[in-house]
Amino acid sequence: MQTATASTSRIRTLASGEYVQRLLALGALIILLVFFSIIAPHFASLENYRNILTATASNGLLATGVTFVIITGGIDLSIGTGTAFASVALGIVAVNLGLPLWLGLIAGLVAGGVVGLINGALIAKLKLPPFIATLGMMYVTIGMAQVLSDVHPIYFTDPQPAFNGFFMGNPVAGIPNTVWVMFGGAIVAWILLNKTVFGRYTFALGSNEEAARLSGVNVDRWKALVYVVCGVFVGLAGIVLSARSSSAQPSQGQGYELDAIAAAVIGGTSLAGGEGSIVGTMIGAFLISTLRTGLSVDNVPQQWQYVITGLVVIGAVWLDIQRRRSRA
Amino acid sequence: MSELLVEMTGISKSFPGVHALEDARFELLPGEVHALVGENGAGKSTLMKVLAGIYKRDAGSIRIKGREEEVPSPHAAQSLGISMIHQELNLMYHLTVAQNIFIGREPRRGLLLDEGALNAKAQQLFDDLHLKLDPRARVGSLAVAQQQMVEIAKALSFDSAVLVMDEPTAALTDTEIDELFRIIRQLRDQGKGIVHISHRLEELKQISDRITVMRDGRYVATVSTAEAEIQQIISMMVGRTVFEATPELPEERDPTVVLEVKGLNRGRQVRDISFQLHRGEILGIAGLVGAGRTEVMRAIFAADRPESGTVLVKGQPVSIRTPQDAVGHGIAYLSEDRKRYGLALSMDVEVNTVLASLRRFASRLGWVRAGATRAQALKLVDQLAIKTPGIGQRVKNLSGGNQQKVVIAKWLTADTDILIFDEPTRGIDVGAKSEIYRLLNDLAKQGKSIIMISSELPEILRMSHRILVMCEGRITGELSAAEATQERIMTLATQRQSVAAASPETSTAMSVGAH
Amino acid sequence: MKLTRITGLAAGSMALVLVASACSSSATTAPSAAAGAPASAAAPASAAASGAVGAASAYVPPTDAGAAKGKTIAIISKGEQHAFWQAVKKGALDEAAKLGVTATYQGPADETKVNDQLNMLQTAISNNPAAVCFAALDSKAAGDLLNQAQSKNIPVIGFDSGVDSTIPVTTVATDNIAAAGLEADKLAAMIGDSGKVAIVIHDQTSQTGITRRDGFVNEMKAKHPNIQIVSIQYGAGDHQKSADLAKGIMTANPDLKGFFGGNEGSIDGVLDALKETGNTGKIVAVGYDSGQQQLDAINSGAESGAITQNPIGIGAKCVDAAIDAVNGKTLPKTIDTGFYWFDKTNINDPQIQAVLYK
Repeated sequence: MQTATASTSRIRTLASGEYVQRLLALGALIILLVFFSIIAPHFASLENYRNILTATASNGLLATGVTFVIITGGIDLSIGTGTAFASVALGIVAVNLGLPLWLGLIAGLVAGGVVGLINGALIAKLKLPPFIATLGMMYVTIGMAQVLSDVHPIYFTDPQPAFNGFFMGNPVAGIPNTVWVMFGGAIVAWILLNKTVFGRYTFALGSNEEAARLSGVNVDRWKALVYVVCGVFVGLAGIVLSARSSSAQPSQGQGYELDAIAAAVIGGTSLAGGEGSIVGTMIGAFLISTLRTGLSVDNVPQQWQYVITGLVVIGAVWLDIQRRRSRA
Repeated sequence: MSELLVEMTGISKSFPGVHALEDARFELLPGEVHALVGENGAGKSTLMKVLAGIYKRDAGSIRIKGREEEVPSPHAAQSLGISMIHQELNLMYHLTVAQNIFIGREPRRGLLLDEGALNAKAQQLFDDLHLKLDPRARVGSLAVAQQQMVEIAKALSFDSAVLVMDEPTAALTDTEIDELFRIIRQLRDQGKGIVHISHRLEELKQISDRITVMRDGRYVATVSTAEAEIQQIISMMVGRTVFEATPELPEERDPTVVLEVKGLNRGRQVRDISFQLHRGEILGIAGLVGAGRTEVMRAIFAADRPESGTVLVKGQPVSIRTPQDAVGHGIAYLSEDRKRYGLALSMDVEVNTVLASLRRFASRLGWVRAGATRAQALKLVDQLAIKTPGIGQRVKNLSGGNQQKVVIAKWLTADTDILIFDEPTRGIDVGAKSEIYRLLNDLAKQGKSIIMISSELPEILRMSHRILVMCEGRITGELSAAEATQERIMTLATQRQSVAAASPETSTAMSVGAH
Repeated sequence: MKLTRITGLAAGSMALVLVASACSSSATTAPSAAAGAPASAAAPASAAASGAVGAASAYVPPTDAGAAKGKTIAIISKGEQHAFWQAVKKGALDEAAKLGVTATYQGPADETKVNDQLNMLQTAISNNPAAVCFAALDSKAAGDLLNQAQSKNIPVIGFDSGVDSTIPVTTVATDNIAAAGLEADKLAAMIGDSGKVAIVIHDQTSQTGITRRDGFVNEMKAKHPNIQIVSIQYGAGDHQKSADLAKGIMTANPDLKGFFGGNEGSIDGVLDALKETGNTGKIVAVGYDSGQQQLDAINSGAESGAITQNPIGIGAKCVDAAIDAVNGKTLPKTIDTGFYWFDKTNINDPQIQAVLYK
């Protein structure tokens, strides 16, 4: 009787909710694509698909980064405004200080990582609830971005003309390089999450933090590291955003965190922790971009765009809860 | 060469509001199974958690293999060669069996995890121990008994010199317990030291070499198992002699049927269940772990929605679609995992007592009448003899037995008269157990109707007026108190569908209840 | 059983989208009648080939603070993010310093934060300043607070988008309706007075959003019937959002000929979108305000021209009007601070340069 239950539980694992949710999200994405192609005549064009990809670049990176955090059962509300901080850091190094662009890029990543480190310290060491800690950092980052830039955008066009050219250049299939940066980031994230000890502990922390602690895992250290990783992705997103507008806007990114979190949740990352995937998050990010683009190509009024996007997010979370309940 | 593996002396430990350990001591020889017993709140788990690095002692010393050691963390304990299997499962439910066992020690290929090697290592471990577990199964999808086996396998995988087991047999069937004992003996013969904390004194008689008794956080005595009598041990644990109460049966059976279930179905675990419950009756439900007993009760209570079937309360068919409906009809369900499903652990006794009946204690606008809830909580603490410093005490700080009493208090307050108890005395010491038994009998005498699921045959035999036996989702038989014996129950509990059809003699023993 | 729920949800949301699409085509945000900011001074003469248009009104600023000396004037603007507001701030603070009054300048994080702005206004009023200058994100919402100021005898000066209320003693602003109208004429001229154009603007709740949109739309309807406005999208002045919206519009209308970006962030986004789709120079873009990106674009030809306001003038005149109000002088209903159309040909004129900001 025991071997029978052993293999049925394996089948149950495979058929379990996570994969189903991912399939559902993918299915929804395909339905949306087909739907908009039908009702909006110009939707189904190569150029439009490229537009969707480009529009997803920054949110895809943010969503990927925050996936790690949500899997541990935490949340990071500072990822939106964190891009402003990273952009400004990049701007100060590469423009104001006149240093080479690559140094600026590193500064952007480091700035994001530092914010992540602060978040991690507040949450793991000082035991602040993630919501509160990152909410506070959300204000701090936007404030610091404005302080450091004197509330003034920093322009790259003259001092670093290659910046925009490189990232928005589209040598491969006419798709801007920012999109490849997003995909590259997603691949690295996938490897981290699924093939490294770091990823394993991320799931462990989210599944049962106390059990992990009792098993000898240094919970504080790994939890903080999760936020640092998220922060690096925020830095990368800031770089991508700056590249597009060829400027560091000190008040950018406000509200971006919501799209990122929505993307992760739609893709099957559970806000309760312990579950999530990069593939799912990417599907979620594309779903949101497709929805937005489709609605704007179809000339739906702004007000309705908000309503519909909100309903889709609610629907996704509801489905997530339903399938988990039925599995229990 | 009998240098002590472990020597703990003068250990003291306090938590807010309670002195858990006072000058406690314990020693362990290599190649011995040393049982640690005591009532709930005696400090057995706490003492071992100090040894395993989970708690830091306030005073005292620990010597491992003769050397004075600090054990500041579970990790440190592991490196000192100490592993502990906890009473509560500490598993990461989203991870697989192999991933749980080797968390923190994953085999790697360069910088990346080597999942193949991980699973192979786990399989090797299972083969060595003759365990039937699938390394790739998600722990969350396993039955509680199997999850317990995962915990055991994990502790054993450290190949530690010292192995502490806290109530390891609680969720296991007899076959699995035999397996476990075989493993324990194997380890003992290898020279390892094993600490076995348990309430099941008969088991300890089988497996242990020595028994140490604790009471109220202090050391009482250590005796050799061969020479000790169970009654003697109990006296030391409790500090007084405990009467073995004889089962009480009412003179007249009230024929009123308060609850009737017909044709209840849910998946593979609840198959065509039909039975009746009479007023003032204690109906025992026996069966092996996995027979579906909990599932049946959860289906009646609508904690899980049944697929088909009718439930009649006091003769009227009722629609129970949510637990709220069930409570409305006077049905209470005390689940086997009281910490997860029965209590709001971070809240106090008072709140937990009135949790299922808040509406009664609140005004129309929702204002909770604090005076009324206080009075109710005090009344029940007194009535059920709940050992707590006060009704403001957080429930998570109470011992298991007293936590169970708070759950009972909750359901009594909710004015329910059909009480379904699922493993009511699990993890509860002898003294508290007999109190719970007395309570159940009192409730039955007052006219409440009780369904009691239990895996302890002596308990079922002692308490039940009637016993239903289940196997693989079906009711295989019904026995009256007079005709019930351990053997008869066991036979019915292992009687699978095909066998039942084939043997007419056992079929006649099945009564009307099976339809 | 679960499948029906999913299909139900999908069907429900599709229905919603269809309804929304129907709504959109039937009434593309019906532009309200021109808001109550009467055009003063010179009408936007389309006859003027280029150069400064829309002279400032005949208002003479004070040279002495008089009774307001040493007192505080609280200025609540719509934001601090764009350089435009920084320029307003500079104009205001410089003028205040010159005349010997204290000015405080605050604005919410972005132009959607109506409630934040109301909180700032409340705090300002509670501190009993000599006067309050206010540019409402949402005029109607501020009604109560304005009443409060009035009952405390604190004069209210409206600026930029002003306040849709009778309480302010004057409004210091650009005549956005006239300005946007001029813009429409310019754009029409550049695309041969026929074809499809689109608008990307910041919002539809603030006076500037409403008036610029309406000014543009009404002028097109009245004077350029062969021009069709195919879409009006709102991007909150966020570069990325505006860019993505613009791309969506271009996808839906491959024969689009022109874009009107209603504020700095919007036109910056439009310019990015044109660059990304390779349509720079093929689709005519006209914008509003200035900022480095726009200035570069006008110099390079990516953008064909823009309306600049006089942000420094707005800030300075605000303080002036406040001082006058404290001293009991009667003020005209509006103080027009002027606007200028500029393009490659006149961008380096000193008059234009004076009001541009980077």
